[in-house]
Amino acid sequence: MLCKNSANQDICDIPQQEVYDKPAFTVVVVGSVDHGKSTLLGRLLMESGAVEVDRVRRVETICAAKGSNFEPAFLLDALEEEQSQGVSIESTHCQLRYEGQKFQFIDAPGHLEFIKNMTGAASYARIAILVIDAVEGVRSQTIRHLEVLAMLGVTRLLVAVNKVDKINYDSAAYHDICAKTQELLNTLKLDCDHFLPISALNGENLFKASENLPWYSGKTLIQVLSELAPPAARGCNSGYFRMMLQDVYRFGGERFFAGRVVSGSITPGQLILFSPSGKVSIVEAIISYPDEKRELAVAGECVALKLSEQIFVERGEIVSRPDQAPEVLDEFIATIVWLAEEELELGAQYILKIGTAEVGCSVYAFTSNNESVDLLNRGDVRDVIIKPSSPIALDRIEGTSGLNRFVLCTKYDTVAAGSVMEEKRIFRGMPVASPFVQRENGYLERMVIEAAQGHKAAVLWLTGLSGSGKSALAKALEARLFAAGRTVMVLDGDNLRKGLCADLGFSREDRAENIRRIAEVARLLLDAGTLVIVACLSPYAEDRDRARSIIGEDDYLEIFLSCPLEVCQGRDPKGLYKKAASGEITSFSGLDSPYQPPVHPNLLIDSNQMSLDQEVEAVIALLRSKQVIGTAIGRIWPAKRPNTSQSMAREVI
Amino acid sequence: MTNYLDELESDSIFIIREAYAKSKNLGMLWSMGKDSTVLLHLVRKAFLGNYPIVVIHIDTSYKIPEMISWRDDFARRNNLRLIVGVNKRALADGMAPEKGRLQCCGSLKTEALLDIVHEHRIQALLIGIRGDEEGSRGKERIVSPRLHSSTWAYKQQPAELWHYYNLHLPQDVHVRIHPLLRWTELDIWNYIRREKLEVIPLYYAKDGKRYRSLGCYPCTDSIESGARNVDEIIEELKSTKLSERAGRAQDKVDTYAMQKLRKSGYM
Ligand SMILES: Nc1nc2c(ncn2[C@@H]2O[C@H](COP(=O)(O)OP(=O)(O)OP(=O)(O)O)[C@@H](O)[C@H]2O)c(=O)[nH]1
Ligand SMILES: [Mg+2]
Repeated sequence: MLCKNSANQDICDIPQQEVYDKPAFTVVVVGSVDHGKSTLLGRLLMESGAVEVDRVRRVETICAAKGSNFEPAFLLDALEEEQSQGVSIESTHCQLRYEGQKFQFIDAPGHLEFIKNMTGAASYARIAILVIDAVEGVRSQTIRHLEVLAMLGVTRLLVAVNKVDKINYDSAAYHDICAKTQELLNTLKLDCDHFLPISALNGENLFKASENLPWYSGKTLIQVLSELAPPAARGCNSGYFRMMLQDVYRFGGERFFAGRVVSGSITPGQLILFSPSGKVSIVEAIISYPDEKRELAVAGECVALKLSEQIFVERGEIVSRPDQAPEVLDEFIATIVWLAEEELELGAQYILKIGTAEVGCSVYAFTSNNESVDLLNRGDVRDVIIKPSSPIALDRIEGTSGLNRFVLCTKYDTVAAGSVMEEKRIFRGMPVASPFVQRENGYLERMVIEAAQGHKAAVLWLTGLSGSGKSALAKALEARLFAAGRTVMVLDGDNLRKGLCADLGFSREDRAENIRRIAEVARLLLDAGTLVIVACLSPYAEDRDRARSIIGEDDYLEIFLSCPLEVCQGRDPKGLYKKAASGEITSFSGLDSPYQPPVHPNLLIDSNQMSLDQEVEAVIALLRSKQVIGTAIGRIWPAKRPNTSQSMAREVI
Repeated sequence: MTNYLDELESDSIFIIREAYAKSKNLGMLWSMGKDSTVLLHLVRKAFLGNYPIVVIHIDTSYKIPEMISWRDDFARRNNLRLIVGVNKRALADGMAPEKGRLQCCGSLKTEALLDIVHEHRIQALLIGIRGDEEGSRGKERIVSPRLHSSTWAYKQQPAELWHYYNLHLPQDVHVRIHPLLRWTELDIWNYIRREKLEVIPLYYAKDGKRYRSLGCYPCTDSIESGARNVDEIIEELKSTKLSERAGRAQDKVDTYAMQKLRKSGYM
């Protein structure tokens, strides 16, 4: 007999519906070398009928000439070197359709040497199949591949324990491997409850359940995959508008700003901000060919913008609304996987690419397990600090715009891939006191004050656009907390600019200093046991993060008053938007100066939807959950303290 | 975007614009086949109705005659900056398929292409190959750097992730860019239908036969087919059991013929 599993046998009749027009779900197949990834895909292709008979014939002929059994892997591993060595070198894309779903599979190579090919393959995927050889179990490459998936954010996972024919379909051995893999997944914080035994070579439990696995009553591989497929296609119109600027064309004397929308959507007439340059303009028209003028462009589309005000900007900028600006950073923490054969050396210079921007950068420290490491070898996944040579625009949020993903390159090669970490930041630019000044200790401790007054202290930092309702909420909160007998103090940004910060303007540096002073004052009040409410626009994430580090992570509660710019403009309580529109005021946050919405506020208040009472309740609930109020010491109050007047007037001591 | 053709189109336009932004002298290959005709359309979309790049056809002199007349007509109507590359030396020396199919392809196509690349100082070339055509093309990258000998170093391809393409190159290296790499044959025809594109009539059945893939007449067979228009081709493809290049002789010379040809610079 020529081939054990030729195309003529075992082909299931899979109903082929009209799924041709649907977007495909991309699935990457990963795992250690020789664990059967290519074989798995080869079998899937044959059984689904997605591969043509002449291609199967070719592989039959090749295997026969070699005197070997039929290798389904050769349907993908087409290179001579791959077939002679029985190893995948490059990744391969292939498609198949199953019950109304279209899958784009990518076969990744398992060998360490080709980790760059595996990482590239996985970067396109939304789902991963991890193949583990039942005889070999978890290997170092299995772990590495999982680390890479975690770094890339590919977290929809299915684990296929392959070659169960080689362990005599033994259920105990299978469950042993599953348990070990589960442990590994837990340490990597990857969620997965889809494990299944398969024999890729024999096509067992791929499309059809196997008689050899009577102890397994779960689903087949293709069924699990169908369930894992996310409902929505890639590219979501939700999220903040972001466009990567690719180029500026000049056709027929006009300039067109060409780029790709990567999240959100845009309409003509919209005020837009370019980051990192900080320039603003208005979209006059959205152009594509052949539909000249469009009313809308959405995530995923490549379009060109005509601007009503001519500005000079170049490839590499991120276009956004000014009130939903990306962060602009000259330092960030990230997880990277090292792909190059040469090791990464500390302090070496690389090219950083995020979006369409390219800047020089140095990678200067390793923070993994708080140990510093001198070198990174191929395949190592580590946390690093990256310092671009000039500020670069990015999003720290996972998933919407993809602008948290980057690569590091040398002149001609890509040497690492990474994603920016969401939480951690490094703060510089804080004034350092003279080393000769020594702290004087021994004053009243905050804890003592808190115990005496019966509640704790904290800083509620209200940030949001002008007109988003910060001061209104601050007043309502102050009244409510004061009525309940709490020590409370509001620091209103506008009021502080009349005195403490009267020397500061609205330049980037002055804004930073403004926030620093407010944060320092808030910290002093905090030490006095006060519930401090800061009502301050604070448009830059970097400045708010600095305030957080001055005040202390635990005492700083960030509350984002989210409200559409248009609504704020309509409210315009101080007539400032009108003044900005007439050009009387410039550097106005949300218009010609960026507002960077918080990535992870402690509380998000949609002030366009919620009533003031609801907003107050939400903040009170936050204070309770953080045990600032409502804890044991809080409940004693106000009974213990005499003279709490009904009129809410503050007691004069 | 929920339509897969929109996604494919947009990915390709992004790639074309990246190539244009980063390469000093960009050209594209146009074989008059369905894929490169789709590519031509995508270039036009990318540049808002303009063709700011040169269009190159490598003429082996063994092309099916209708192809040449259609080429000139189409180029004139669409104002293409068309360059035709012919390896006159080899033809004068009597190069022909009978001298060996691989030698003939290497000389009349690969060499002719390299001459054009050097003569016009082309730095980057858009080529309409697809990964599903045959095995070795399935191993290609969107961006493939070629040494000056134009060798494809498939074991050391630079990493390619997300939308980041490696378009910086040393001098005397040209780069090939494959905007259609992730399209399938069916995608191409669905797109031709949606965009109402004009393709060379050789694809439509006459007397029960049509070309599914176009090449040189000595080496390309037509297939049995009754598909006389795009709709019928799409229906035919949904049920076909044979691969697109089953009618091409090149791939059959020996097992890894296509890989060998492509390694030395064939498209
Ligand atoms: N007995 C048995 N052998 C298998 C099974 N699946 C794969 N194999 C064999 O395992 C060997 C390696 O399979 P491949 O599919 O090439 O492995 P791979 O994971 O793609 O390897 P790389 O791509 O090189 O990392 C081949 O000889 C297959 O025939 C199986 O279910 N049972
Ligand atoms: Mg493989």
